[in-house]
Parts: sequence; structure tokens; C-alpha cells
Amino acid sequence: MCTLLSGFYKYMFQKEEYFVLILGLDNAGKTTYLEQTKTKFSRNYKGMNLSKITTTVGLNIGKIDIGNVRLNFWDLGGQEELQALWDKYYAESHAVVFMIDSSDKERIEESKEAFDKMLSNETLCGVPLLLLANKQDLADCLSVPDIKTDFKGSAHKIGHRDCSVMGTSALNGDGVGEGIQWIVDSVKRNSIARPPTQKDIT
Amino acid sequence: MTIMICFIICTFRAGISSNQPFCTSFHVSGLLSYFSGLFGSKERRILILGLDGAGKTTILYRLQVGEVVTTIPTIGFNVETVVYKNLRFQVWDLGGQTSIRPYWRCYYSKTDAIIYVVDSMDRDRIGISKNELVSMLEEEELKKATLCVFANKQDIEGAMTVTEVANALGLSSIKNRKYQIFKTSAIKGEGLDDAMEWLANALLSNN
Repeated sequence: MCTLLSGFYKYMFQKEEYFVLILGLDNAGKTTYLEQTKTKFSRNYKGMNLSKITTTVGLNIGKIDIGNVRLNFWDLGGQEELQALWDKYYAESHAVVFMIDSSDKERIEESKEAFDKMLSNETLCGVPLLLLANKQDLADCLSVPDIKTDFKGSAHKIGHRDCSVMGTSALNGDGVGEGIQWIVDSVKRNSIARPPTQKDIT
Repeated sequence: MTIMICFIICTFRAGISSNQPFCTSFHVSGLLSYFSGLFGSKERRILILGLDGAGKTTILYRLQVGEVVTTIPTIGFNVETVVYKNLRFQVWDLGGQTSIRPYWRCYYSKTDAIIYVVDSMDRDRIGISKNELVSMLEEEELKKATLCVFANKQDIEGAMTVTEVANALGLSSIKNRKYQIFKTSAIKGEGLDDAMEWLANALLSNN
């Protein structure tokens, strides 16, 4: 009876809180993706003008509620010198979104290096990973299979975790909803290894 | 439109009928600020904080008049209205000396954004700067304020980089607040425009 009541209380008044890290090179579209997500999933949110987004040198945050899951986003700056700050957030993250600019073929290699470096950090072991091939709205961009081929070399480093590659366009919102749904499902699945924090709804 | 007028009249009469002149002025001014808020001409309140000699006063006047003015150490505060792209900012520059830092907190309430200025050449005192920043961010009144860090004096050779400043200030322990670091040089006027642009956008999307 007690369990039932406490379970009911939790269902009604508590949310499972997960933290999602958005990483990737500068100009990959991380902040745009975050703004698009906030606009899509929170009512009454008047989004930032997407064309006015500038380079992030610091942190952007976002919070969305889906059912009884609350996702908190950390969007970090992607410039090379700022990548040193990424690992400070690893220990508390429940999922990682790695953005790739599919239209920038010259920097794919650099993107891959940053990706490998991130994977080699043991703190992130087992954390669900979503690779997003962004800017799919541009005409001559690399397709999802192309990106998969380019990142094949890193496959063995991914190890035992939920991992998916999706195409998206942060600018016009294609694929954003699917990506978020995937994150929600996989953080729930991984919740035994990385339990969420319980938060009362206030 | 009719509804709006009715609303104004009703509120006005409610103010008059209650015999107290104070009440009337309260209602009218409340109403005025409500409507001015609708049209976006609301003033945002910004504090410029940081240790003494970081360049806060120079930044304030660079933003306001676009010139480098000769400054003396601020004891007390300077306050100016800065207009940037139709947004009005009420910018407060508070003195940064050790003895007057405790008074910063008197100005915290209703602050929309904090500009925290760091002297990028002052490696010795960056630790003190960090402590001041950390204790400031713990304040309840500043919980919703946007943080903007200026790594100032970038015109001098050997200044700390953005990453060094971020690490020294322990910015990576900030997890529930939006922040951004800018490389600035108040003397040369570099980086200030980008910062104001970002701040204007950040404050617009917050409301």
C-alpha cells in the first residue's frame, strides 16, 4: 500500500531529470538545434531568432518536459580551444548528442578527431550517444550513409551503449522530434547504469 | 481595442474611488509600465562587476559614448542608460575595491544580466576574482540573471586566453545558467559590439 502511494506520488509530482550534452565542432548547429528543440517542446517559448545565433563561447542551457521525463540540455562551445571544457560535464551527463555539419566536407576529419577524443574518455562509458548529421537541408551535403562510412573507423570505440546516427536539419526542424524521442527512450533504458535525479515539480 | 480602453478606465476609477491619492498614482504607473513592457521599450538592468582595475568604468563609457574616457578608481557607482538596437539598458558600474565589494549585493535585485569583467593580465588575482564570482552567483536574487564574462585587456600581449579565463574562474561548474565569455579590449573597443549583440538577443529570448 505504502509503495503504491509513494509510486502514485512520484508519478504525479516528480519528474525524472536527465542531463543531455550537445557537442560538436563550432558552426555545426548545436545552439540552433537547442533553440529548435525548446521551441518545439515547450509551450509559450518564444524562440530566439535562429538567424541571429552567434558563436557560443560558454554555455547555453535548455529544459524540456516529455511525460514525466525532464531533459536538461547543456550546449557547449565547439571551438578547438573550448573543447578542453567538455570533459567537465561528462560525469553528470545521461546522454550525448554529437553534431556534425554534413555540408562541411573539409572539417569532417577534424570532427572525427574530436569525436574520437570524446569517446576515449572513460567517464562517458556506456552513455547513450546520438550522432546527428545536421544541415541535411543543404543541397550538396553528405548523406547519413556517407557520414556512417566516414565514422566507421570509430565504431569499435563506441563499445557497449545505445548509439544511433540520424539526419537532421536544425534550421527547419526536420528530424528534431525523432532525435529527442530517441534520447528519451535511451536514457530511460540506461537509467539503471546512470540513474536520473528525482525532482519535485514546483 | 474597446476592451483595452475599458480596462484602463476601470483601473483608473478603481484608483480614484479609493480616496487615497497614492493609490491612483500606483495604478496608473503600474499600468504604464505594463503597456510600455508590451511595446518592448522596457529597460533592462545590467550590472558591471569585477575586481578593481579590471576596466569596468572604461567599458561602461565605451558602451555609452563610444570613446575612451580617463577614469579614476570608482568609489560608489556610475549608472548610465545605453541604447542598443532599440533596447534600453540601464547599466550600473559598481566600484570593485575590496572594501566596497560587500555593497554589490545591495544592487542585485531585479537584475537581468551581469557583465563580469576580468583583467586578463592579472594572473595573481584571478583566484580572488573567482571567489567573488562564485559567491555572487549563489545569491538568490541573481538566480535568473544571464552571465556575460568579459576577458578584458586582450590588447596586451600575453593576456590569458578564453579557455584559461574559463578554467581559472571555474566556469565549467556552472550548470544551470546560460553564460558566454567574450574577449574584449575596452581601450580599442574590440569585442564589445559582439557582446552587446549577444546580450540583446539573450535578454529578448528570456522574456
